Amino acid sequence: MRGTRVVVIGGGVGGYPAALRAARLGAEVSLVEKEKIGGVCLNKGCMPTKVYLHAASVLKEMKRASLFGVNAERIQFDFQSLLARKKVVIDRMTGGITNLLREKKVRVVKGTATFIDSRSVKILETGEILSGDKFILATGSIPANLSITGSEKDSLLTSDDLLQMESLPDSLLIIGGGYIGVELGQFFRRMGTKVSIVEMMDRIIPSEDEEISHALKGFLEQEGIDIHTQANVEKIEKDEIGKKVVFSTPQGEKEVKVSKAAQTVGRRPYFLGLGIEKIGLKTEMGRIVVNDRMETNVPHIYAAGDLIGGTMLAHVAMAEGECAARNAMGQPSSLSHPAIPRCIYTSPEVACVGLTEKQAAERGDVQISHFPFHAIGKASLMEEGEGMIKIVAGKRYGEILGVHMIGPHATELIAEAVLAIEMEVTIEELAHAVHAHPTLSEGLGEAAMQLSGGALHLP
Amino acid sequence: MITPVLMPKIGLTMTEGKIVEWKKREGEWVEKGEVLFVFETEKMVLEAEAQQSGFLNSILVQVDDHVPVGQVVCYLAEKEGEKVEVALERPDTLRGEEKEVPLEVGPRPSDHIRATPLARKMAKEHGLDLRKGMGSGLGGRIRGKDVERAIQSRAPESVLVESVEQGRLVKFTGMRRIVAQKMLASKIETAQTYMVSTVDATRISEAREKLLPITEKKVGVRLTITDILMKITSLAIFLHPVVNTRWTPDGVLWLDVIHMGVAMALDEGLIVPVIWDIGKKSLSEIAKARAELVEKGRKGKLTPDDTKGSTFTLSSLGMFGVEEFTAIINQPESAILAVGAIIEKPVVIDKQIVIRPMMKITLSYDHRIIDGAKAAQFMKTLKELMEDPNVALA
Repeated sequence: MRGTRVVVIGGGVGGYPAALRAARLGAEVSLVEKEKIGGVCLNKGCMPTKVYLHAASVLKEMKRASLFGVNAERIQFDFQSLLARKKVVIDRMTGGITNLLREKKVRVVKGTATFIDSRSVKILETGEILSGDKFILATGSIPANLSITGSEKDSLLTSDDLLQMESLPDSLLIIGGGYIGVELGQFFRRMGTKVSIVEMMDRIIPSEDEEISHALKGFLEQEGIDIHTQANVEKIEKDEIGKKVVFSTPQGEKEVKVSKAAQTVGRRPYFLGLGIEKIGLKTEMGRIVVNDRMETNVPHIYAAGDLIGGTMLAHVAMAEGECAARNAMGQPSSLSHPAIPRCIYTSPEVACVGLTEKQAAERGDVQISHFPFHAIGKASLMEEGEGMIKIVAGKRYGEILGVHMIGPHATELIAEAVLAIEMEVTIEELAHAVHAHPTLSEGLGEAAMQLSGGALHLP
Repeated sequence: MITPVLMPKIGLTMTEGKIVEWKKREGEWVEKGEVLFVFETEKMVLEAEAQQSGFLNSILVQVDDHVPVGQVVCYLAEKEGEKVEVALERPDTLRGEEKEVPLEVGPRPSDHIRATPLARKMAKEHGLDLRKGMGSGLGGRIRGKDVERAIQSRAPESVLVESVEQGRLVKFTGMRRIVAQKMLASKIETAQTYMVSTVDATRISEAREKLLPITEKKVGVRLTITDILMKITSLAIFLHPVVNTRWTPDGVLWLDVIHMGVAMALDEGLIVPVIWDIGKKSLSEIAKARAELVEKGRKGKLTPDDTKGSTFTLSSLGMFGVEEFTAIINQPESAILAVGAIIEKPVVIDKQIVIRPMMKITLSYDHRIIDGAKAAQFMKTLKELMEDPNVALA
C-alpha cells in the first residue's frame, strides 16, 4: 500500500487525523481545506467555546476567592483581551496541526474541491486537478437553520456568529437548549448579558438523562438564565432596540425583547459543491451513507465526521477519520464503539456515556444509583458540592449501561465510566476498584458501591 | 497426621480434572475405599476413592472447578479438627495416589480466557465454558453479546429446561454434556451420508452356533453375533482402507491400524470402548476383549484409555429387536456401521419364496472423504463376507 495516493477533503477533526494516519501508513497524502486547518472544532466550535467558558469559570472562581481566604478585589473582565486570547490559542493549535502535517509530508492544498470523476477532483480556486487512488471525504457540517417568520435577513445569529461577536450584547435569546445553546448561554450570562433560552422540547439537553437535564436547568436558572421549554418560536420582529421574539408555550403566547437573537438548533451535514452526484455517491436524509468501515457505496471513497450524520462530536469524527484511513490503506478496521462520552462544558459540567435510565429501562430491568458530590471530601473542600453521579446498571448482571454526571470536572471523570462500559465492567468491579482519596473520582466508586453492598459515605 | 488428597491422573492423556460432586462433607469421617468425590476428565466421569481413612478436612476445590492432575483437592486428617499446615506439604513427597501423579504439571489453559466481566458472569450463570470461544471484541475478547448469542444458539436446551418446570429436572451429569457436545459436533462438522444393505444372516447364525462352545472353552466367554460381525468388518475395512481414515486440517490421514470401537449404552449415556488392533486379533481374542470392556463398563471402571483411539465404530441394537437404524459418526472417525436385528423374513431365492434370517446394516459415512461408490464397494464386500463368514473366520 506504500505510495498509495490518498486525497482527504476537509481539514477538520475528521479529515486531519485521517491524513496523519494514512501518511503514517505510507500513503502520499493531499489534504484539501478551503478555510482553516482544524475545521469547526478548532476554529468555530469546541476550542473557542471552551476558551470562553474557561474564562467564565476563572471569573467565577475569582469572585468567590474570599471563600478560600484569597482576597481579590477590583476584579475586571475585558472581553477584548479574551478575544485576543482566543486567537492565540487557536493559532497555537492550528499551527501545531500544520506542523504535524508537514512532518508527515502531507501536502495541504488550500481551496475548494469538486469531483470531476471518481478518481480526481478539481480545486476551484486554482484549477488544479488532484488525482487519487483513495478519497476520504470529511467536509463536516454547518449550523442548522430554522425557518421562522422574520428570521430571514440575518436576524438570527448562528453559533458561528456568536463566537465572532466583538462586543457583548445587553441581552440575548437563544433558540435551542441543546449542548451549544446551554454552553454559550452560560458564557454570555456570566459575562453580564441577560440570557433567555427557548427550547421546543419539554426540557433542555433533551437527549440526555432526565434527571441530569433537570439538574442543569436548576443551575442555569440560579445564575439568572431565563429558560422556556415546550416553547415554539412563532415570529421574530425588529423593533427600536433590537428584536422581539414571540413564542407559544402551554401557558400561552409569550414575547421577549432582546438586543440579539440566535439559534443553536443542531448542525447538518455539509457537502455542497463537492460534486458527489457526478460520481453516484449514495446519500440518505442529507447525509453520506457509509458502513461501519466508513466505506461509501463507491469502493475507493470513504467518508468520516459530521457529513455522515450520526453522533456529531469531534472525538467521534477523529475515530471515524482514523478508521477510514486504515481501511483506505488496507488495514481492516471497523467502528463499533458502545461507549462514546458526551460532554457539556457548563459549570457544573455535564458528562454522560451509555444509555439514559429511560433508554436502558426500555431494554430490560435496571438498577439505579445516585451519589451526590457533597458527600465527596475533595468536592467539599473545593466548594463544588453541587451535582451528582448517576449509574444505570443492568438488574441481572449489574453491567454498567450508562453513567451520567453533573458536577465539578465531570468531563474528566467520565473517562473511567467510558472504559467501564467499553470493557463491560459490572458494578462489582467498579465498586471493588480503589479510587484515590481525596479525589472527585471517589464518587463513581461510591455510586457503584451503592448497588453493591452500600456506599461508605452516605447514611 | 494429615494427608493431602490429589486430583488423580487416570490414563496417559489426562492433564486436568473437574470436580463434579463432593460425596462427603467437611468434617465427615471417610472410610478407606469410600468415594470422596466425583470428577470429570475430557472423556468420562469417574469416582475418586479415599486411599486411607480420615476426617475430611478443608475442601480446597469447589464443584465445577478445573484443577491440574496432582493438585491437592482436600485433606484427610487422622484426628478430628487437626490443623492443616499447607505450606509444609509438598506434592512430590505425598502418599496416596502418588504413583499416578506426574511431578510436573502444565499451566492451566483456563488462565487465558479473554472475556469481559459481563461475559464471565453470564457464562457462569448459564454454565458455558468460555475457554473454547473467540469473541467479537478487540483481540477476540468475548463480550456479553457473544455469550448472549451462544445462549440463544443453545435454545433447545433452554426450552427443555422450561418445559420441565412442571416435571422433574434432571441436572446434566458431566457425561451427558460430553455426549451432547460430541453428537452435535459430529452432525455439524461432517458430511454424514447413509447407505443400507440387507444381509442373509443364515450362515452367521450357523457359525455362531458352531463356534460358541469352542470359544467358551478357549477363553471362557460366550461368543456373540457382534463379535463375529466385528471380525468380519475388520477384514472388510482391511480390504477397503478408505473407511479407516481421518479428516485433518492438512489432508486425509490413512490409518495403518484398525482400532474398532463398539458402542455401548450405560444408564448415564453412551460410551464407546475400543478393541485395539482388531485386525491382528482372532475371533476368540475379540470376544474376550469385548467381554472385558463390557464388564468394566457395567462396573463404571472404564478408563479414558479404554475409550480412545478408535478408527471405526460398530453399533448394534439387534438385541432390542430394532430392524434398522442409522448411527452418528463417532468423530474423528470417517464411518460407523449400525447393525439391526436378525429377523426371519420371506425372501425369493431361485424363484422360490423361502424363509431366511435377514439382517439390515446401515453405514453412516463422511462424504467429505468417502465417495458413494467407495462406500458401496465396502458394503458389497461386507455383505459377501457376512453371507459367507468362513472367509473371514477361517
